[in-house]
Amino acid sequence: MSHHRFRALVRLLAVTAGLAAPALGGGAWAADPADGQSVYKTQCSICHAVAPGRNSIGPTLFGVVGRKTGSVPGFHYSPANLGANITWEPATLDKYIESPRAVVPGTIMTYSGVKDATKRADLIAYLETLK
Amino acid sequence: MRPGAASIPTIALLLAVATASLPGSASAQQAPQARDIPQSLTVEHEETLARLTKLAERPPPVGPQARKVLELYKEHTAREQAFILPPLTLLLPMSEGKVTPDMRWAIPMTDRVRAEQEKIYVEHATMIDELNLLLEAARTANDADAIDFAQTAAADSLNDMELLVPMVLVIGDYLHAKLPPAQ
Repeated sequence: MSHHRFRALVRLLAVTAGLAAPALGGGAWAADPADGQSVYKTQCSICHAVAPGRNSIGPTLFGVVGRKTGSVPGFHYSPANLGANITWEPATLDKYIESPRAVVPGTIMTYSGVKDATKRADLIAYLETLK
Repeated sequence: MRPGAASIPTIALLLAVATASLPGSASAQQAPQARDIPQSLTVEHEETLARLTKLAERPPPVGPQARKVLELYKEHTAREQAFILPPLTLLLPMSEGKVTPDMRWAIPMTDRVRAEQEKIYVEHATMIDELNLLLEAARTANDADAIDFAQTAAADSLNDMELLVPMVLVIGDYLHAKLPPAQ
Protein backbone atom coordinates (compact mmCIF):
# COMPACT_ATOMS: atom_id res chain seq x y z
CA MET A 1 0.00 0.00 0.00
CA SER A 2 1.39 3.39 -0.94
CA HIS A 3 2.16 6.04 1.65
CA HIS A 4 -0.65 8.27 0.40
CA ARG A 5 -3.22 5.50 0.36
CA PHE A 6 -2.18 4.41 3.81
CA ARG A 7 -2.61 7.92 5.15
CA ALA A 8 -5.97 8.26 3.47
CA LEU A 9 -7.09 5.02 5.05
CA VAL A 10 -5.90 6.12 8.48
CA ARG A 11 -7.81 9.36 8.12
CA LEU A 12 -10.93 7.59 7.00
CA LEU A 13 -10.77 5.30 9.99
CA ALA A 14 -10.20 8.24 12.30
CA VAL A 15 -13.17 10.14 10.95
CA THR A 16 -15.34 7.05 11.10
CA ALA A 17 -14.38 6.56 14.71
CA GLY A 18 -15.05 10.21 15.49
CA LEU A 19 -11.47 10.82 16.35
CA ALA A 20 -10.73 13.61 13.90
CA ALA A 21 -9.07 16.52 15.59
CA PRO A 22 -10.98 19.76 15.83
CA ALA A 23 -9.86 22.92 14.06
CA LEU A 24 -6.97 22.90 11.61
CA GLY A 25 -9.26 21.17 9.18
CA GLY A 26 -9.33 18.00 11.25
CA GLY A 27 -6.72 15.30 11.34
CA ALA A 28 -3.84 17.60 12.20
CA TRP A 29 -2.34 14.82 14.22
CA ALA A 30 -1.72 12.93 11.00
CA ALA A 31 -0.41 15.86 9.00
CA ASP A 32 2.71 15.09 7.04
CA PRO A 33 5.35 17.79 6.60
CA ALA A 34 6.89 15.96 3.67
CA ASP A 35 3.59 16.02 1.81
CA GLY A 36 3.21 19.61 2.93
CA GLN A 37 6.48 20.49 1.28
CA SER A 38 5.06 19.18 -1.97
CA VAL A 39 1.98 21.34 -1.49
CA TYR A 40 4.25 24.29 -0.86
CA LYS A 41 6.17 23.64 -4.06
CA THR A 42 3.08 23.40 -6.22
CA GLN A 43 0.96 26.06 -4.56
CA CYS A 44 3.15 28.60 -2.78
CA SER A 45 6.67 28.62 -4.15
CA ILE A 46 5.77 30.73 -7.15
CA CYS A 47 5.44 33.67 -4.75
CA HIS A 48 7.00 32.67 -1.44
CA ALA A 49 10.51 31.56 -0.53
CA VAL A 50 11.22 29.67 2.67
CA ALA A 51 14.73 30.91 3.39
CA PRO A 52 15.12 33.37 6.25
CA GLY A 53 14.95 36.97 5.09
CA ARG A 54 14.25 36.08 1.49
CA ASN A 55 11.21 38.05 0.48
CA SER A 56 9.85 37.69 -3.03
CA ILE A 57 6.40 38.41 -4.45
CA GLY A 58 5.23 37.46 -1.00
CA PRO A 59 7.08 37.53 2.31
CA THR A 60 9.30 34.65 3.33
CA LEU A 61 7.44 31.79 4.94
CA PHE A 62 10.33 31.09 7.27
CA GLY A 63 8.98 31.47 10.78
CA VAL A 64 5.46 32.18 9.57
CA VAL A 65 3.81 30.03 12.22
CA GLY A 66 3.49 32.14 15.32
CA ARG A 67 4.25 35.50 13.78
CA LYS A 68 1.89 38.42 13.37
CA THR A 69 0.53 39.67 10.07
CA GLY A 70 2.53 42.40 8.44
CA SER A 71 5.64 41.81 10.52
CA VAL A 72 8.35 40.60 8.15
CA PRO A 73 11.11 43.21 7.91
CA GLY A 74 11.77 44.49 4.42
CA PHE A 75 8.46 43.41 2.94
CA HIS A 76 5.93 46.03 1.95
CA TYR A 77 2.49 44.77 2.90
CA SER A 78 -0.90 45.83 1.66
CA PRO A 79 -2.89 47.88 4.15
CA ALA A 80 -5.22 44.92 4.54
CA ASN A 81 -2.53 42.53 5.71
CA LEU A 82 -0.75 45.19 7.68
CA GLY A 83 -3.86 45.96 9.67
CA ALA A 84 -5.23 42.45 9.99
CA ASN A 85 -3.79 41.96 13.47
CA ILE A 86 -3.75 38.20 13.18
CA THR A 87 -1.20 35.83 14.62
CA TRP A 88 -0.54 33.01 12.21
CA GLU A 89 -1.30 30.03 14.35
CA PRO A 90 -2.26 26.75 12.69
CA ALA A 91 -5.98 27.44 13.01
CA THR A 92 -5.79 30.94 11.52
CA LEU A 93 -3.42 29.77 8.80
CA ASP A 94 -5.82 26.99 7.94
CA LYS A 95 -8.65 29.44 7.31
CA TYR A 96 -6.42 31.88 5.45
CA ILE A 97 -4.90 29.28 3.18
CA GLU A 98 -8.37 27.97 2.39
CA SER A 99 -9.62 31.39 1.33
CA PRO A 100 -7.31 34.36 1.83
CA ARG A 101 -9.82 37.10 1.20
CA ALA A 102 -12.37 35.56 3.52
CA VAL A 103 -9.93 36.06 6.38
CA VAL A 104 -8.21 39.25 5.23
CA PRO A 105 -10.60 41.23 3.04
CA GLY A 106 -8.67 43.40 0.66
CA THR A 107 -5.52 41.33 0.66
CA ILE A 108 -3.72 41.50 -2.65
CA MET A 109 -2.40 37.98 -2.32
CA THR A 110 -4.03 36.77 -5.50
CA TYR A 111 -4.60 33.16 -4.64
CA SER A 112 -7.77 31.10 -4.71
CA GLY A 113 -6.77 28.94 -1.78
CA VAL A 114 -6.20 25.28 -1.00
CA LYS A 115 -9.64 23.75 -0.66
CA ASP A 116 -8.47 20.29 0.42
CA ALA A 117 -8.28 20.16 4.24
CA THR A 118 -5.71 17.39 4.20
CA LYS A 119 -3.39 19.34 1.96
CA ARG A 120 -3.79 22.39 4.18
CA ALA A 121 -2.94 20.37 7.27
CA ASP A 122 0.10 18.94 5.54
CA LEU A 123 1.18 22.35 4.36
CA ILE A 124 0.84 23.85 7.82
CA ALA A 125 2.79 20.94 9.27
CA TYR A 126 5.54 21.79 6.81
CA LEU A 127 5.38 25.50 7.63
CA GLU A 128 5.77 24.63 11.29
CA THR A 129 9.15 23.10 10.48
CA LEU A 130 10.43 26.40 9.08
CA LYS A 131 12.05 27.70 12.24
CA MET B 1 -0.56 40.21 -16.72
CA ARG B 2 2.56 41.53 -18.32
CA PRO B 3 5.76 39.76 -17.38
CA GLY B 4 8.50 42.30 -17.21
CA ALA B 5 5.99 45.03 -16.44
CA ALA B 6 7.48 48.48 -16.34
CA SER B 7 7.58 50.44 -13.14
CA ILE B 8 5.34 53.45 -12.77
CA PRO B 9 8.17 55.91 -13.40
CA THR B 10 8.98 53.97 -16.54
CA ILE B 11 5.38 54.16 -17.67
CA ALA B 12 5.29 57.88 -17.00
CA LEU B 13 8.57 58.38 -18.82
CA LEU B 14 7.40 56.46 -21.84
CA LEU B 15 4.19 58.42 -21.85
CA ALA B 16 6.18 61.63 -21.69
CA VAL B 17 8.31 60.58 -24.63
CA ALA B 18 5.29 59.48 -26.59
CA THR B 19 3.32 62.66 -26.02
CA ALA B 20 6.33 64.90 -26.56
CA SER B 21 6.41 63.83 -30.17
CA LEU B 22 2.77 64.65 -30.68
CA PRO B 23 1.57 68.04 -31.92
CA GLY B 24 0.35 69.44 -28.65
CA SER B 25 -0.39 67.86 -25.33
CA ALA B 26 -4.10 67.90 -26.05
CA SER B 27 -3.57 64.66 -27.93
CA ALA B 28 -3.04 62.87 -24.66
CA GLN B 29 -6.41 64.08 -23.42
CA GLN B 30 -8.53 62.97 -26.34
CA ALA B 31 -10.89 60.10 -25.76
CA PRO B 32 -8.95 57.01 -26.66
CA GLN B 33 -9.98 54.47 -29.16
CA ALA B 34 -10.86 51.05 -27.80
CA ARG B 35 -7.25 49.94 -27.72
CA ASP B 36 -5.56 53.11 -26.55
CA ILE B 37 -3.48 52.18 -23.56
CA PRO B 38 -0.03 53.36 -22.57
CA GLN B 39 2.36 52.28 -25.30
CA SER B 40 4.73 50.65 -22.84
CA LEU B 41 1.95 48.31 -21.81
CA THR B 42 1.06 47.55 -25.40
CA VAL B 43 4.64 46.49 -26.02
CA GLU B 44 4.66 44.32 -22.94
CA HIS B 45 1.36 42.69 -23.86
CA GLU B 46 2.73 41.84 -27.27
CA GLU B 47 5.94 40.43 -25.81
CA THR B 48 4.03 38.34 -23.32
CA LEU B 49 1.67 37.06 -25.97
CA ALA B 50 4.58 36.08 -28.21
CA ARG B 51 6.40 34.33 -25.39
CA LEU B 52 3.32 32.49 -24.22
CA THR B 53 2.41 31.46 -27.75
CA LYS B 54 5.84 29.87 -28.08
CA LEU B 55 5.40 28.01 -24.81
CA ALA B 56 2.00 26.81 -25.99
CA GLU B 57 3.72 25.04 -28.86
CA ARG B 58 5.87 22.98 -26.50
CA PRO B 59 5.15 19.28 -26.04
CA PRO B 60 3.44 18.07 -22.85
CA PRO B 61 3.39 18.84 -20.07
CA VAL B 62 4.32 22.48 -20.71
CA GLY B 63 2.49 23.05 -24.00
CA PRO B 64 -1.04 22.07 -22.95
CA GLN B 65 -0.81 24.02 -19.70
CA ALA B 66 0.65 27.04 -21.50
CA ARG B 67 -2.34 26.94 -23.84
CA LYS B 68 -4.67 27.21 -20.86
CA VAL B 69 -2.71 30.17 -19.57
CA LEU B 70 -2.78 31.69 -23.03
CA GLU B 71 -6.56 31.55 -23.19
CA LEU B 72 -6.85 33.17 -19.78
CA TYR B 73 -4.30 35.76 -20.76
CA LYS B 74 -6.24 36.74 -23.86
CA GLU B 75 -9.43 37.18 -21.84
CA HIS B 76 -7.56 39.11 -19.19
CA THR B 77 -5.86 41.50 -21.57
CA ALA B 78 -9.10 42.08 -23.45
CA ARG B 79 -10.69 43.30 -20.24
CA GLU B 80 -7.62 45.31 -19.33
CA GLN B 81 -7.62 47.01 -22.69
CA ALA B 82 -11.36 47.62 -22.57
CA PHE B 83 -11.52 49.58 -19.34
CA ILE B 84 -8.66 49.07 -16.89
CA LEU B 85 -5.65 50.46 -18.69
CA PRO B 86 -6.98 53.31 -20.90
CA PRO B 87 -7.39 55.73 -17.94
CA LEU B 88 -3.66 55.40 -17.34
CA THR B 89 -3.09 57.44 -20.49
CA LEU B 90 -4.26 60.42 -18.43
CA LEU B 91 -1.46 60.13 -15.92
CA LEU B 92 0.92 62.41 -17.72
CA PRO B 93 -1.39 65.39 -18.22
CA MET B 94 -2.75 64.93 -14.72
CA SER B 95 0.79 64.94 -13.35
CA GLU B 96 1.15 68.34 -15.01
CA GLY B 97 -1.93 69.59 -13.22
CA LYS B 98 -4.20 69.33 -16.22
CA VAL B 99 -7.70 68.07 -15.65
CA THR B 100 -10.10 68.99 -18.39
CA PRO B 101 -13.70 68.08 -19.19
CA ASP B 102 -12.62 66.05 -22.18
CA MET B 103 -11.16 63.55 -19.74
CA ARG B 104 -14.65 62.52 -18.67
CA TRP B 105 -14.49 59.52 -20.96
CA ALA B 106 -12.35 57.79 -18.34
CA ILE B 107 -14.84 58.09 -15.49
CA PRO B 108 -17.11 55.22 -16.54
CA MET B 109 -14.00 53.07 -16.89
CA THR B 110 -12.60 53.91 -13.48
CA ASP B 111 -16.06 53.47 -11.96
CA ARG B 112 -16.24 50.06 -13.56
CA VAL B 113 -12.84 49.13 -12.15
CA ARG B 114 -14.03 50.09 -8.69
CA ALA B 115 -17.22 48.09 -9.14
CA GLU B 116 -15.36 45.06 -10.43
CA GLN B 117 -12.46 45.00 -8.00
CA GLU B 118 -13.45 41.62 -6.62
CA LYS B 119 -13.87 40.19 -10.11
CA ILE B 120 -10.44 41.51 -11.07
CA TYR B 121 -8.98 39.90 -7.95
CA VAL B 122 -10.60 36.57 -8.80
CA GLU B 123 -9.23 36.80 -12.35
CA HIS B 124 -5.75 37.22 -10.99
CA ALA B 125 -6.20 34.44 -8.48
CA THR B 126 -7.37 32.14 -11.26
CA MET B 127 -4.37 33.14 -13.30
CA ILE B 128 -2.06 32.30 -10.41
CA ASP B 129 -3.72 28.89 -10.10
CA GLU B 130 -2.94 28.20 -13.74
CA LEU B 131 0.57 29.63 -13.44
CA ASN B 132 1.18 27.30 -10.50
CA LEU B 133 0.28 24.41 -12.79
CA LEU B 134 2.51 25.80 -15.52
CA LEU B 135 5.37 26.13 -13.05
CA GLU B 136 4.87 22.54 -11.95
CA ALA B 137 4.84 21.37 -15.56
CA ALA B 138 7.90 23.45 -16.34
CA ARG B 139 9.82 22.00 -13.42
CA THR B 140 8.83 18.50 -14.49
CA ALA B 141 10.11 19.22 -17.98
CA ASN B 142 13.14 21.13 -16.67
CA ASP B 143 12.05 23.98 -18.91
CA ALA B 144 13.89 27.04 -17.65
CA ASP B 145 12.12 29.46 -19.96
CA ALA B 146 8.70 28.28 -18.84
CA ILE B 147 9.77 28.45 -15.20
CA ASP B 148 10.93 32.00 -15.70
CA PHE B 149 7.73 32.94 -17.49
CA ALA B 150 5.51 31.58 -14.72
CA GLN B 151 7.44 33.32 -11.99
CA THR B 152 7.64 36.60 -13.84
CA ALA B 153 3.94 36.50 -14.66
CA ALA B 154 3.12 35.93 -11.01
CA ALA B 155 5.18 38.97 -10.10
CA ASP B 156 3.30 40.95 -12.67
CA SER B 157 0.00 39.95 -11.14
CA LEU B 158 1.16 41.64 -7.96
CA ASN B 159 2.13 44.66 -10.02
CA ASP B 160 -1.43 44.90 -11.29
CA MET B 161 -3.00 44.56 -7.88
CA GLU B 162 -0.51 46.70 -6.02
CA LEU B 163 -0.02 49.49 -8.57
CA LEU B 164 -2.10 49.58 -11.71
CA VAL B 165 -5.55 48.97 -10.32
CA PRO B 166 -5.08 51.38 -7.39
CA MET B 167 -3.70 53.95 -9.80
CA VAL B 168 -6.80 53.70 -11.96
CA LEU B 169 -8.97 54.12 -8.87
CA VAL B 170 -7.03 57.21 -7.81
CA ILE B 171 -7.41 58.67 -11.31
CA GLY B 172 -11.15 58.08 -11.07
CA ASP B 173 -11.42 59.72 -7.68
CA TYR B 174 -9.38 62.67 -8.91
CA LEU B 175 -11.57 63.13 -11.96
CA HIS B 176 -14.71 62.93 -9.87
CA ALA B 177 -13.32 65.53 -7.51
CA LYS B 178 -12.08 67.93 -10.16
CA LEU B 179 -14.80 67.65 -12.75
CA PRO B 180 -18.34 68.62 -11.76
CA PRO B 181 -21.02 66.27 -12.97
CA ALA B 182 -21.98 66.90 -16.58
CA GLN B 183 -25.16 68.98 -16.97
